[in-house]
Amino acid sequence: MPYESFLIAGLLLPFVGGCVAALLPTNARNAEAWLAGTVALIILALLASAYPRIVDGGVIRFTVEWIPDLGLDLSLRMDGFAWMFSTLITGIGFLVVLYARYYMSPSDPAPRFFSFLLAFMGAMLGIVLSGNLIQLVFFWELTSLFSFLLIGYWHQNAQARDGARIALIITSAGGLCLFAGVLIVGHIVGSYDLDRVLASGEAIRAHRLYVPGLVLVLLGALTKSAQFPFHFWLPQAMAAPTPVSAYLHSATMVKAGVFLLIRLWPAMGGTQEWLWLVGSAGLITFILGAFFAVFQQDLKGLLAYSTISHLGLITLLTGLDTPLGQVAAIFHIMNHATFKASLFMAAGIIDHECGTRDIRRLSGLWRSMPITASLAMVAAAAMAGVPLLNGFLSKEMFFAETIEVHDNSIVDQALPYAVTLASMFTVAYSLRFIRDVFFGPASTELPRTPHEPPFLMRLPAELLVVACLIIGIVPAMTIGPILHAAVRAVLGSTLPKYSLAVWHGFTPELLMSIVAMAGGVAVYFALRPYLLSGIEGPPVLRHINGRRIFERVLVTVSWRFARWLENILGTKRLQTQLQLLAVFALMAGLLPLPVRWAVTDYGSASGFDPVFALLWAVGVSCALGAAYQAKFHRVAALMLLGGAGLVTCISFIWLSAPDLALTQLVVETVTTVLLLLGLRWLPRRIEKISPTERSAGTIRWRRSLDFVIAACAGVGLATLAYVTMVRPAPDSISRFFVENAYTQGGGANIVNVILVDFRGFDTLGEITVLGVVALTVYALLRRFRPAPESIPIPEQQQAQNVYDDRHPDRQKGDTLKDAMATPALMMALLFPVIGVTALFFLLRGHDLPGGGFVAGITMAVAFIVQYMARGTIWVEAHLRVLPVRWMGVGLLMAGGTGIAAWLFSRPFLTSYFSYVETPVIGSIPLASALLFDISVFSLVVGATVLMLIALAHQSMRSHRTPQAREARTREAAPMKPAK
Amino acid sequence: MNEFAKLPDWAAIIIAILILAGAATTLIGSLGLWRLNSFYERLHAPTLGTTLGTGCIVLASMLCFSVLQTRLVLHEILIAIFVTVTTPITLMILVRAALFRDSVERAETLSNMHDGSHPATSELEVNHSRPPEAT
Repeated sequence: MPYESFLIAGLLLPFVGGCVAALLPTNARNAEAWLAGTVALIILALLASAYPRIVDGGVIRFTVEWIPDLGLDLSLRMDGFAWMFSTLITGIGFLVVLYARYYMSPSDPAPRFFSFLLAFMGAMLGIVLSGNLIQLVFFWELTSLFSFLLIGYWHQNAQARDGARIALIITSAGGLCLFAGVLIVGHIVGSYDLDRVLASGEAIRAHRLYVPGLVLVLLGALTKSAQFPFHFWLPQAMAAPTPVSAYLHSATMVKAGVFLLIRLWPAMGGTQEWLWLVGSAGLITFILGAFFAVFQQDLKGLLAYSTISHLGLITLLTGLDTPLGQVAAIFHIMNHATFKASLFMAAGIIDHECGTRDIRRLSGLWRSMPITASLAMVAAAAMAGVPLLNGFLSKEMFFAETIEVHDNSIVDQALPYAVTLASMFTVAYSLRFIRDVFFGPASTELPRTPHEPPFLMRLPAELLVVACLIIGIVPAMTIGPILHAAVRAVLGSTLPKYSLAVWHGFTPELLMSIVAMAGGVAVYFALRPYLLSGIEGPPVLRHINGRRIFERVLVTVSWRFARWLENILGTKRLQTQLQLLAVFALMAGLLPLPVRWAVTDYGSASGFDPVFALLWAVGVSCALGAAYQAKFHRVAALMLLGGAGLVTCISFIWLSAPDLALTQLVVETVTTVLLLLGLRWLPRRIEKISPTERSAGTIRWRRSLDFVIAACAGVGLATLAYVTMVRPAPDSISRFFVENAYTQGGGANIVNVILVDFRGFDTLGEITVLGVVALTVYALLRRFRPAPESIPIPEQQQAQNVYDDRHPDRQKGDTLKDAMATPALMMALLFPVIGVTALFFLLRGHDLPGGGFVAGITMAVAFIVQYMARGTIWVEAHLRVLPVRWMGVGLLMAGGTGIAAWLFSRPFLTSYFSYVETPVIGSIPLASALLFDISVFSLVVGATVLMLIALAHQSMRSHRTPQAREARTREAAPMKPAK
Repeated sequence: MNEFAKLPDWAAIIIAILILAGAATTLIGSLGLWRLNSFYERLHAPTLGTTLGTGCIVLASMLCFSVLQTRLVLHEILIAIFVTVTTPITLMILVRAALFRDSVERAETLSNMHDGSHPATSELEVNHSRPPEAT
């Protein structure tokens, strides 16, 4: 096994672990934690073993080809930067797992939590290890998804649901933008491969699509990293369990945005656009986040805004567009992850042990939990940038970088002052976190009595804080090589000079640090009266609520706007919909006319046959009559339609297409019967317009409009058909079918051979569609609510019932039974005859007119005749028809026949034929296509009968309803006088 | 029309006469359906086509193809059988429906004449709507 495959192992392990974790019992907290912890440790070990290979700018690559033609491969790539991020992800992941074991209550379902957490870890590793941009976007969206699931972990809580929804919408919308941006980048570079993209920075920056691509990529990165103006999802996401906040929303996932910025900086950075877009977003976020954080009353809210602010700082560093800025950004990513994760853990411990995380209620916790307090204090000091802690180092680098001249604009000149001001707020909220929570008088009204948490719950935070200290004191010996490897991976071999020393002498940045410290303390004490008043959020600005604006936009777009559009464009009236459909079809038909009119070859009608012409005259008049009568005399229209259908059949015979004629004949029969059954449910149409009616004019106008549309559509289609038919037939593939039907398909009936052999796959699709249609008809009729005037029993049937009721020796339905006695007998006798005919058509289909389709419909006719003769109830009591089973058998057999070809290592649906010797009949041709034909037969029978049954049951059901209602009222009526 | 040219003259003449006779009968039946006055009268007209008309044309077809293929072609008998079996059924259903409707309508007019009292059940009506079990 090549060494490189450890990458794929490391990537798959969390997902596999997640699947296993999902299967464990609900209360297996320990097993889950062991599993997740082991997974994280194994990956950490793998990473440690890989360290020597990446430390000197080495890159480990692993590629599995997927669709090489499109440049889509599974490509994993680990350099120093990805290694640093992977270590951060798995290292903090391990600590969070340990912490979550104690944090989660025994009543929380552990499998869901740990499996999502592991899957998230895998998705995050996927982002940082992706060597292909499309793949990166895929994992990007995956992290959004798991973040959604984890924020909504306590889904019984409305706040969690809302927070999860907002986070998902913002980050996945950003992900979509990123996808579009990546496509643009891929288009410019000609490849999605990360190496090639990074190498073609010049080409990207010079391309005219650079700005749109940059904006789209930035939208992705800035939404993910909660940068202004998309920052508001992060505080909402604090409804998640604290381990999730510590892991996703401070240490890892939100860093994906800045990861992407730094990753793509060599390719897309170094322009004015980058400087202004990224830099200003970062600066605004840094200042606003720090300002808002001071005023939060919720511990996690404070940390959330502080995270936003620090992410703004990192974004600003990236946006300053210098190599040194990237170094500082990478360094601060690591430092922020360590101190912020430990702060979240401390906040979680406080919440866990005190039952609240409201700063107004917490006070004096120093006494009851001294260890946690010292941990939180060290971490908060690191956040504030106190010397000898890791935060101080990256902040110094940051200050130094802001002092540098970039483009010397006013903003650039004001930058050092602005960031010093923001840093004052950073110091202020860190101080507030320490002083308001741990000092002062011990609070007495806490839901729980605070005490130290178990050792193992504290351990992760302890380890992180120790890391803060060690990095802060001896940076060059500890973090130095890792930072060097990461920076080298991003910037290449020409590294800027940077120093990790704690003491640089008296420099301007040290002065800025001192000013920020002193100013922060002053700000804190100045704002104390306001903070103590208990108001959540800063003055004035708290009324501008990003979340509320977002919700309002969401409601407007997804609900109001949709309603408005629906009101304008939508209609529930079928007539209007059909009218629109007809008009659009007409327009679509007319569209190509101006272009093609000139080139259309009309051909010439060759030979005029008076008999055929007469036949068509009959057919055309039938069709016209049907159209004329269709609105007010539907039965007459239906009969005329049948006439037109018969003329079509005869035309087919005339043109030597007996197969089509046969099919047309049975289809006509079945269609007429089914339509007749359906007619009863159509609402009545009133032909006369009473002149007194006010809307008479409107009705007349509407009718004439309908007439015009119908006439245009009809004439247009007729013209189109005529023009097409008189054109000389193009030299198509039909000759191939004629020549090869017998030699290759083994059948003399070319049409049938085409259907079941040459085009067998089409037929498979068609019968599937037929099955779907039948099921849909059935489903629609199950829920069919007829027009009110169609609900009662038809007049004729009522008359019969009245007549039967009047005669004491008759039962209801006797009249019908009497009238149908002889016909029913005859029809019953015809059943086997029609059945044999169907079988005959089926078997001879391969060589002579016939086939599965005709046979199926013929068989269906046999069933229809029985329903007509004896009525639904009788037929279903005597004849078990299971149409769905017929359909299922048909489809399975068709698929099976196709698959059987695989057994002989032939392509799907290859047919086979040979001659079989039988005792009496002699040698008969037998093709595997016959099996296919039988399945077509079975499906057609099933589908047709299912539709028939749906219609037949419709009349039974609706009879039952009013009767039942009547019966109920009749029962209830005698009760009333008694009361 | 080439293959029909092979028919001997005697056969051609007989076949032509038969076909024309069948077609004429059917046409007369159709005209009757159009022209006659009452439903019951009109019902009789198309039966000309289904019996005599079909018979003539079936005979003509049998003769024609038997002579052409120099063997007995009797498929057409099936057509005759099926037409014979099914047409009367249609007729029967139609007549029954018409009779029933007439009887109901008559009963309604009678009951109207009796000023809304219980509808009369005249012998005539029963006879119409419920004939003996025959047919």
